[in-house]
Amino acid sequence: MSGQRRVVITGIGLVTPLGIGIEQNWDSLVNGRSGISRLTHFNASGFPTRIAGQVKGFNARRMLGPRDDIDCLGAHSRFSLAAARLAHEDSGLGGCALKPERVGVYLGCGEGDPSFLWLARRISESLDADGGVFIPRFLSRGMEMLNPRKDIEYEPNKPVYHISNLFNAHGPNSNCLTACAASAQALGEAACTIVRGDAEVMFAGGAHSMIHPMGLAGFSLLNAISTRNDEPEKASRPFDQKRDGFVLSEGAGVLILEEESHAAHRGARIYGELLGYGCSSDAYRITDIHPDGRGAAQAMQNALNDARISPPQVGYINAHGTSTQINDRVETLAIKKVFGEHSRAVLISSTKSIMGHLIAAAGAVEAAVCLLAIGRGIIPPTINQEHPDPDCDLDYVPNKAREAKVDIALSNSFGFGGQNICLILSRYRG
Amino acid sequence: MIQKKRRVVISGVGVISPLGLSRDEFWTNLMARKSGVAGITLFDTAGFPTRIAAEVKGFDPLKYIEKKKSLKVMIRDMQFAVAAAREAAGDAGLGNARFDPERLGVVFGASMISTDPCELAPAIAQSRGEDGQFDLTKFGVEGIPKLFPLWLLKQLPNMLASHVAIMYNAQGPSNTITSGCSSSAHAIGEAFRIISRGGADLIITGGASSCITPLKLIRYHRLGVLSKRNDAPEKASRPFDAGRDGFVIGEGAGMLILEEREHARARGARVYAEITGYGSAVDMQSGPGGSIEPSSKARAMRAAIADSGTPAGEIDYISAHGNSIPFTDRLETMAIKEVWGPRAYEIPVSSIKGQIGDLGPASGAMGLISIALALGRGSIPCTYNYETKDPECDLDYVPRPREAAIRCAVCNSFDFMGQNVSLVLRNAESD
Repeated sequence: MSGQRRVVITGIGLVTPLGIGIEQNWDSLVNGRSGISRLTHFNASGFPTRIAGQVKGFNARRMLGPRDDIDCLGAHSRFSLAAARLAHEDSGLGGCALKPERVGVYLGCGEGDPSFLWLARRISESLDADGGVFIPRFLSRGMEMLNPRKDIEYEPNKPVYHISNLFNAHGPNSNCLTACAASAQALGEAACTIVRGDAEVMFAGGAHSMIHPMGLAGFSLLNAISTRNDEPEKASRPFDQKRDGFVLSEGAGVLILEEESHAAHRGARIYGELLGYGCSSDAYRITDIHPDGRGAAQAMQNALNDARISPPQVGYINAHGTSTQINDRVETLAIKKVFGEHSRAVLISSTKSIMGHLIAAAGAVEAAVCLLAIGRGIIPPTINQEHPDPDCDLDYVPNKAREAKVDIALSNSFGFGGQNICLILSRYRG
Repeated sequence: MIQKKRRVVISGVGVISPLGLSRDEFWTNLMARKSGVAGITLFDTAGFPTRIAAEVKGFDPLKYIEKKKSLKVMIRDMQFAVAAAREAAGDAGLGNARFDPERLGVVFGASMISTDPCELAPAIAQSRGEDGQFDLTKFGVEGIPKLFPLWLLKQLPNMLASHVAIMYNAQGPSNTITSGCSSSAHAIGEAFRIISRGGADLIITGGASSCITPLKLIRYHRLGVLSKRNDAPEKASRPFDAGRDGFVIGEGAGMLILEEREHARARGARVYAEITGYGSAVDMQSGPGGSIEPSSKARAMRAAIADSGTPAGEIDYISAHGNSIPFTDRLETMAIKEVWGPRAYEIPVSSIKGQIGDLGPASGAMGLISIALALGRGSIPCTYNYETKDPECDLDYVPRPREAAIRCAVCNSFDFMGQNVSLVLRNAESD
């Protein structure tokens, strides 16, 4: 629409199991170097799954500078603050006089570190003879032992507060938590905030770590995560027939979204444009995705409509591709439904094969991957493709990165519980 | 990206509250100055410094949930959400309305759900080592199998929206906002944006929460923000009153049906009010005991008023966040004065939290619903227990319910962790 405000991306900040910052991540992505290894954050030796995609070499003090709350911050705050700083630096907005009211923050962050050991010990101390919990004892022990300053940092909206304060962002803010779709949804909603005219610049993305005993236990019980403990690097294998679940990862992706003329006027380096945002809900079951991919297809179609493009214009799809049996089969089905014949030609890859599943943070990181693929002309591969699955028969860019000039990319994020988000990113054309 | 600018109205309301299990019961008891605060009965609080809360009483989930099996995966927050959504959908006549399921969305505010210690107990009991201490390795091997397989699904905040989307075959946009106590106000604002820009025609929105749990009680006690007036529960929540000593935890759900104005008109739906403005701002320095400036709360109100295109002079009522914590009530009062100047003294400001406590993530929806009902009935609820003037809180806090002709009203919802939301409602009769 002429005269309508457009949204471009001018800064990228990444903290993932593949590294900190764009270059470390890109290097591992194009070389297909897995970030999955043995889980060391806690003693998982008794758990059915003992592997994860952990962020390595992250020194909070070095990344965040001096802060008096550094020991209290949850992983979601540490990672997202670091990613926001990287993105902000990358955008060159530092020297730019911005009205604080015109800068907002919209994140899709999960919870901070739930202190499971703390909880388990308090329960253990309060067990009565019948194996129930004697609540008055639990209350009094809890009252004695709780560090309230640390406890409130567990809340998922803490990163929004910290980032707003660090960058003096007085504008619109929110935090959504729609499981694995959260940070993609945050990007879409942040872009709408700019299009509507309520902000010039938005910090958008998400952060999450469910590599804690509750997350690992919960996903194990759902049989959702891979148990390929002896071959961590081979565990995440989206679309491969021998896939046995996703790999739990952690990290953050924060992007600087900026109104197009604002970015152009200040001569910013522009990674690309956020061209379309589609959402839908499966409304099917809380445990399963719709077997025909109804919701997934609808989200993609809505995003294409929003971007006013047709399927053949899409050159690359960064799939949700979790490496669970059902997701990868249904996503393939949904892509075929929306793209028809073009589904055979479009390049598809799941970078979760390399970095695992960052849960709430996955969508933002993968949107960044799409922008880098467009800019650098290389499509990161889906690694661990060894045994073709007849139900997954598209071009998943197996095992080796591929050079390809792509102008428009689509990124899928489907949340547990049925929220589907699709983003369309394109090369920037003045 | 496509962006339209359509008008949005409220066409249905549903309530599960400490004052009753329906819209009408809630409103009648609210205006009759009943209190929903009493001693905690959900668990044994013996010996704990705070033993009072505003519980939902007489709630039978099976009245609202047909499949007994689904109850196994629905904790109390989810049951409240489903029950209130049902009333709101019925109230709006969604059952008889013809619409495309892809144009019906669900946007809720919720919190991270507190793990129930009793539910974990069998797994923890199984995981004690020879020294009697909890052993994580043992938990992995012997504890995990003791847990309910779908245990995780009871902890995820987006599950409230999932359950309701399934019930109403809502295939449109789904979002869940987790911004603490401002969650449902944020959610309603986001739902308003989605319909306005053309992303949906109808959205079930609001919030639900059941924070009366041992873990939340411990947290708020340690933060020093809970009222300890155990001997006079009904007097404990007293927003803006000089004798206030902290907030009272409440629980419940407030749900609304937001609808595109022409869509509602075309099907002859009853309209409660038009939602015209939404603004949000983060506290620039916060934390209990920390120094906070009121300007960020004022910014949220100003942004919402500017968004609505309403002159500040046409705001005739403010439904305050007012949760009875000494410093937050003071800050809200300062922020209102910052926005309106001398006119602040002429605007009635009341907080329904005096009667229902602070429903956390559901509180904003409750405030907004009370405005929607007040607009239609021409009377506003009071600030219960407002008796003694605090020199720093010197506005008109409406000590008794009163009749009032309202053109527009502001609803405030401020999270304790620093996110502030204001919404503006406009009387649908006024155009």
